[in-house]
Amino acid sequence: MSAVEESRERRSSGAEAAPTAAPPRSLSTRLLVSVSILLITFFGLTIAALDLVFREVTDQAMRDRLEAHLLALIVASEEDAGDLVPATEKLDERLKNPGSGLYGEIMRADGYPSWRSNSLTGSGLTFDAQPHVGAREYGELRRGDGAPVRALSRSLAWQFDDGVTRVFVFSVAEDLQPYNAQLNRFRGQLFGWFGILLLLLLGALAMLLRRLLAPLRRIEREIEAIETGAADELGDGYPRELLGVTSKLNALLRSERERLARYRNTLGNLAHSFKTPLAVMRNLLHGAQGRDLPVIRQLDEQIGRMDDIVKYQLKRAAASGSGGLGAGRVDMREALEGLRAALLKVYAERNVVCELSVDDNVYFAGDREDLMEIAGNLLDNAFKWTRSRVQVTVSKICREGVRRDGLQLIVEDDGPGVPESERERVLERGARLDERVSGQGIGLSIVRELVELNGGSIAIGSSPALGGARIEVRLPPI
Amino acid sequence: MRLLIVEDDPDLRVSVVERFKEAGFNVDAAADGEEGLYCATEFPLDLAIIDLGLPKLPGLELIKKLRAQSKSYPVLILTARDRWQDKVEGLQAGADDYVVKPFHFEELLARVQALLRRSGGWAQPVLRCGPVALDTRTQEVTVNGARVELTSFEYRILEHLIHRAGEVISKAELTERLYAQDFDRDSNTIEVFIGRLRRKLDPEDTIKPIETLRGRGYRFALQRESAV
Repeated sequence: MSAVEESRERRSSGAEAAPTAAPPRSLSTRLLVSVSILLITFFGLTIAALDLVFREVTDQAMRDRLEAHLLALIVASEEDAGDLVPATEKLDERLKNPGSGLYGEIMRADGYPSWRSNSLTGSGLTFDAQPHVGAREYGELRRGDGAPVRALSRSLAWQFDDGVTRVFVFSVAEDLQPYNAQLNRFRGQLFGWFGILLLLLLGALAMLLRRLLAPLRRIEREIEAIETGAADELGDGYPRELLGVTSKLNALLRSERERLARYRNTLGNLAHSFKTPLAVMRNLLHGAQGRDLPVIRQLDEQIGRMDDIVKYQLKRAAASGSGGLGAGRVDMREALEGLRAALLKVYAERNVVCELSVDDNVYFAGDREDLMEIAGNLLDNAFKWTRSRVQVTVSKICREGVRRDGLQLIVEDDGPGVPESERERVLERGARLDERVSGQGIGLSIVRELVELNGGSIAIGSSPALGGARIEVRLPPI
Repeated sequence: MRLLIVEDDPDLRVSVVERFKEAGFNVDAAADGEEGLYCATEFPLDLAIIDLGLPKLPGLELIKKLRAQSKSYPVLILTARDRWQDKVEGLQAGADDYVVKPFHFEELLARVQALLRRSGGWAQPVLRCGPVALDTRTQEVTVNGARVELTSFEYRILEHLIHRAGEVISKAELTERLYAQDFDRDSNTIEVFIGRLRRKLDPEDTIKPIETLRGRGYRFALQRESAV
């Protein structure tokens, strides 16, 4: 079982997932768009149908009205020297007034008008229908100025008192403009109401979706909080449909944490039960007679080597690494102040001045133990080698569109520094530990290992300000 | 100097206790946290060495309880796990230093001596008061540069007095810190040793290093030179 390998896998899969091409469309947008399309189609068809019905109804009403006018005209007509002329007092008032919009005409069979209404004056309208006797002709005509009128003509054989039967064409027409205005008003109202209805429906739907999808957004928020380490697990009170997901996720997070804790506890017990006998051996060796014998020194060196290997491997195995959900976050200032206070106590006799310069709100996104090992070893090294001053600088590394900020940790001292030829070697991996001379310290190898497991890098240089070593750890944003 | 060692591994405990006794310390030992707490609160100690991984009461809790009872002597942590989190927590709880297993006894001894020195207000391993100098590493005592031969017990009394030079230390306290529990506790013995020390350090009776305060105890009267 290896937590290390697992965490490596986690990290690499996280890296692949990061540069996705297009942002995935949200559920609510998808739903809103399809419902809008559906509603607009439905409303469009409804509007078209209503419009059709309305036009037919009004058209029919107009025809009926024209029919009535025509009948009235016929009824009002009286013989007048071989012509037919309606009695003025029986006529519709509108026929008498020019520009009233209602027109009438009685035409003889020879094409000469027997009577034309006053309203026809100046209208430029001519009736040209010539239906068979007894038949009707209904259609649209244009006035002289191009405005449409609806016209109804009927041909009648009229038996005069002198016994002669003459054929006349009775015509009435009415301006279409009021009808069209009514139609347009109707259409405007139709569109207006349906538009309002559409907006209301979509608004209601959007609100409903917001409410419905609120738990999903909450999951997202809470997972984000877990990712950045602000929370340990998802909260309660999710709807039944999501409880399965949230409780399983919590169980997973919990078991992962417990596994790591159990694992570390085992490693700690192993260290304890292994190192105590080593300590006993050391004491026995040095308490024995002839403690300066070469064999004693060699044995002591082997004990040191065993200790180094165990220490290195245990620390490596106990590392949590990055990328794990729920790994937590650590306040850098608080962690470093704790370490500084501890080291100032331990190195009290050296009178070291240790300056901490930490940006506000810098968090290590990962496991506390990992950070404490990284920073603890770096600071301890600096305190060990410094003459009087240690400078620790922490700054935040932000990148747009990235949730977890990275950080840069620089530890400088005014000690002798690390010569360039040695820099590569002190960071060497543990694989070559058994080739090393004991007592050289494995602190920096452990730091490197932990930094890399957390997706970062380490570099050794020399401090321009203090003149000693400058060790820089960079943990990029994820 | 009276030490307490709280360590659950019997082999390690026995061997460390032996080595400290060889080095001239009066040593108490406890095998678990509860026993350690009893010793740490009941005995007049100069320093305690506490393993963090203890049965019954963890080392960290033990240290917190000691400090809560205003025991102010230095505490040194022994740890096998070597986690920085543990070290920081231990030091925050009130410990003063830590040593990681497997240690060399010489390192442990040096740390213990440094802590004792610091608790007495000394910064250097050589404690100087006027013409008298005591080297805690070699256990050598010189007066005006001339070496003075002391027995182990005389050295321990002198070390104790110089460590807290300027303070009054009662006879009872000296007895408790220098003798093992079952030792003869006749306070006249202390007077005899003080007399011998005076003669060895100051044969002509000119510098008068050790004062007797009637009914209260003794005081090392020479001015410290490298006090912090």
